[in-house]
Amino acid sequence: MRPFGPAAAFAADDIDVAPVTQAAPARGGMRFLALGILAVLLLLAGRAVQLAFSGDPLAASRQSSGVAATVRADIVDRNGVLLATTVRAYALTAQPARVWDVRETANALLRKFPELDRATIERRMADRSRDVVYLRRSLTPGQREEVLALGLGGIGFEAEDRRVYPQGTLAAHALGFTDVDLRALAGVELGLDEAIRGGGAAGRPVRLSLDVRAQYALESELAAAATRAHASGASAMLLDARTGETLALASWPSFDPNQAGAAAANARRDRVGGDVHELGSTIKPFTLAMALDARVTNAGERFDLSEPFVIDGRTIRDHERILGSVGLREMLAHSSNIGAARLALRVGADRQRAYLDRLGLLSAAPLESGRRQAPIAPRATGRRDVAGIGFGYGLAATPAALAGAYTVFANGGARVTPTLRVRENGDPVERAPVFSAATTQQILRYLRATVTDGTGKAADVPGLEMAGKTGTAEILGEDAAYDEARNFSSFAAVFPASAPRYVLVLALDDVGEGEAGGTVAAPAVGRIAARIAPMLGLRVTPPAAR
Amino acid sequence: MKRWLHALAVVIIVVLAVGLYKAKTDASKAAAHVRELESQIGDAQSDLRALRAEIAHLESPARVEALADRHLELERGRQSAALPESAIDRELPAPSTRQRPNP
Repeated sequence: MRPFGPAAAFAADDIDVAPVTQAAPARGGMRFLALGILAVLLLLAGRAVQLAFSGDPLAASRQSSGVAATVRADIVDRNGVLLATTVRAYALTAQPARVWDVRETANALLRKFPELDRATIERRMADRSRDVVYLRRSLTPGQREEVLALGLGGIGFEAEDRRVYPQGTLAAHALGFTDVDLRALAGVELGLDEAIRGGGAAGRPVRLSLDVRAQYALESELAAAATRAHASGASAMLLDARTGETLALASWPSFDPNQAGAAAANARRDRVGGDVHELGSTIKPFTLAMALDARVTNAGERFDLSEPFVIDGRTIRDHERILGSVGLREMLAHSSNIGAARLALRVGADRQRAYLDRLGLLSAAPLESGRRQAPIAPRATGRRDVAGIGFGYGLAATPAALAGAYTVFANGGARVTPTLRVRENGDPVERAPVFSAATTQQILRYLRATVTDGTGKAADVPGLEMAGKTGTAEILGEDAAYDEARNFSSFAAVFPASAPRYVLVLALDDVGEGEAGGTVAAPAVGRIAARIAPMLGLRVTPPAAR
Repeated sequence: MKRWLHALAVVIIVVLAVGLYKAKTDASKAAAHVRELESQIGDAQSDLRALRAEIAHLESPARVEALADRHLELERGRQSAALPESAIDRELPAPSTRQRPNP
């Protein structure tokens, strides 16, 4: 039989009409089948052509495997030195049903990991209601090999990621740390969590503005100064004031972020962005700048600061009596409370608060270090409050906020917000105007005089033209009264004075009576500046050339 | 003629079906190979990260300074030890005169 075609139609001419009418649907069906086969054929041919000309179907997966995608990106310093990375680790597991002897297995594991709690691991290994239990997290490949060598039945491993900080304690507070599940808990790990996760997915590191060389110098000198002064804590921050980039940032005591859980809470505390203190005399340059900028004084005015200044029943004295008629230069160089209080009163509460706001001292410094403590800055309600703020009391802010405020002296009166992220070429730097350029230039001369002739002599480093201000604030005791025997001593430096670019703030908490900023903080600032100068491209003048 | 065309169509269908099956099988094998390679790349990159971490640890300033103190008998430069360029010749030991051997 011929299934279809004209021959079949010819054959139908010789038979009755009825059979022809019965054969017509069959022919139609065959045609339909033929069309179907043709359609399938065309589909197959089309797909074959598509595959032939559509390029490499595996190219996409190859591209995706070309980058090292991780949960969290590496963190590097401004020169590409590795600060944090994610490595493969192993979780130590047990299958309770396969553990032969719980006690014997626990003994063997405790010999390798004495920090494990015997009762806990024995209870977990005996819990036959669960298929797998975790005994310890974050084993290194070496530890895994050691456990494997024990040949313990029912003991296994699960691959996992572990965050490591190869520089150890260096920049610990800036970096922060994560938990074993890589959830950010502190530092830039927390402050830049989104960027770090994004960088991990894209396989590119997150670059910080820190420089490990400057960071090490800052940390070691800070630790030495804090130990020498018997401080309870200390903090320091070095800024490139033109860009706001933080080159080094340290808190003391420090800790190892690889073992953050084992560190004391006091050591883990980021004091730069997280601790607020009444700033003491480091705020006086701003009081003078406010007075000059608001034109309530001028560089030629002379003051008699020899007598205590009584205001609403409170007597304000200077640490050392300043005799004779003095100008703004001597007022700042000798850190006169009386002079600063009088100028603050001339500026007035509203203008003072507006300036403080523009200096960033009334809000938390937006540093990406996780801990951003807002200042304690109640509105001044009386003349005493205004005068107190003028010489450093009644306003508590972080060292990070103070360092940010000092950037006005390197930017012609404009403030630059500190950041921990490196600024790429072409990144715009936002400058918020606070004072006129002439005002900050004038104050900068006074700050230089403070180092050459005033309370900050110990910070002087020949060749670096150090300028800065000492600060010594008595700490409030438990009875809400200021304790003369406990000080928050600090020094805020700007250098080099002729072309200001760097701001360095150092603070020592809870040092003893007589341990003023000029005595304990200024020498440390000088040592740090001399040590990091070559890293910044600055030259210390040799003694023989002076 | 049509019979030949029909036969040719059937042959083409069979060839295409076999070809497609082979292409699919090859693609599956290639995909498995890619997965294996990706796993190897992942392992290598993990090892690389661990090695980079180790290098960073070995080169950390604190460790290098401690090693320099212990083995090189060097100390950090002090400001008081700095010299102006004009004084360098005076302070350095005189260069020894090298004796040339006779030819």
